[in-house]
Amino acid sequence: MTRVAIEKRVLSENDAEAAVIRQRLRREGTLCLNLIGSPGAGKTALLERTLERLSSENAVAVLTGDIQTDCDARRLMRYGHPVRQITTAGACHLDARMVARHLEGWPGHLDLLLIENVGNLVCPTSYDLGEDAKVVLLSVTEGEQKPLKYPGIFKKADLMILTKTDLLPYVSFDLERVRTNARLIHPAIEIIETSATTGAGLDEWIGWLAARAAGKQAQAEREVEHAGR
Amino acid sequence: MHEMGIACSILEAIQRELLPYPEKRAVKVAVRVGEMAGVDAESLRFCLEAITKNSESGPLELEIEICRSDELELAYLEIDDAERQVTA
Repeated sequence: MTRVAIEKRVLSENDAEAAVIRQRLRREGTLCLNLIGSPGAGKTALLERTLERLSSENAVAVLTGDIQTDCDARRLMRYGHPVRQITTAGACHLDARMVARHLEGWPGHLDLLLIENVGNLVCPTSYDLGEDAKVVLLSVTEGEQKPLKYPGIFKKADLMILTKTDLLPYVSFDLERVRTNARLIHPAIEIIETSATTGAGLDEWIGWLAARAAGKQAQAEREVEHAGR
Repeated sequence: MHEMGIACSILEAIQRELLPYPEKRAVKVAVRVGEMAGVDAESLRFCLEAITKNSESGPLELEIEICRSDELELAYLEIDDAERQVTA
């Protein structure tokens, strides 16, 4: 019997594909975010309000993943920004190969690429898509224990967006408790409270996006300048 | 929930590792699964059994080491080298 040491990540093929995407987006200065949340957490609603607020001067595109249907792409296309649907036909997450395939032939430069993952708090966590950051969405109707029950995604996400805060008067959801739980798993996680219905918190979210996008763009420019020397 | 996908990735990785050893067969694979990896060890075992038991390559023993982290790694592979013993 011969024993061969491997010592590689099981998903190293996915990681390699993600690295190619990351390199391309870095060169182009495109900020890429991977939005993850349960089915019904409000990912598409947040994206609708986001696209609505970003003018056509912002080069923004969306990849939206679902197991079946192009309902989300059709919802999102109404705002005048390019949108592509990824239908996974059963897979519970997006992987880097699906993203790479759907990025082929994308028109021109993008400032921002938003990827809406398949509704699921578990599996999407394992697959790097070449994003700059994962953003986890948690609706106030889901309960404040979620960061403890699904620690993986809350540990890996830079930002937690609490959604549907307009429903707080009608549900027993303890805002302070959810903040404590999230920070127990990930002390540095940023938190924004939003409502796609009333618009509360959306300015803060757009501000967060703009700051991140500017940072990414500045980094790309510095690298071009550096390479030119 | 995505253990079947993970099991398929393990098989693909094994096939890549076996490229330098044509005619040889993997009999055992050791995988490290972190507690925070979001992968259920028993479900992974079930999926890997399901996709290997009737395959040409035959049964594959799976050793799972649970560790504290979010890693999901292939540790090592054992290859059946009966052929080598016969010729020795």
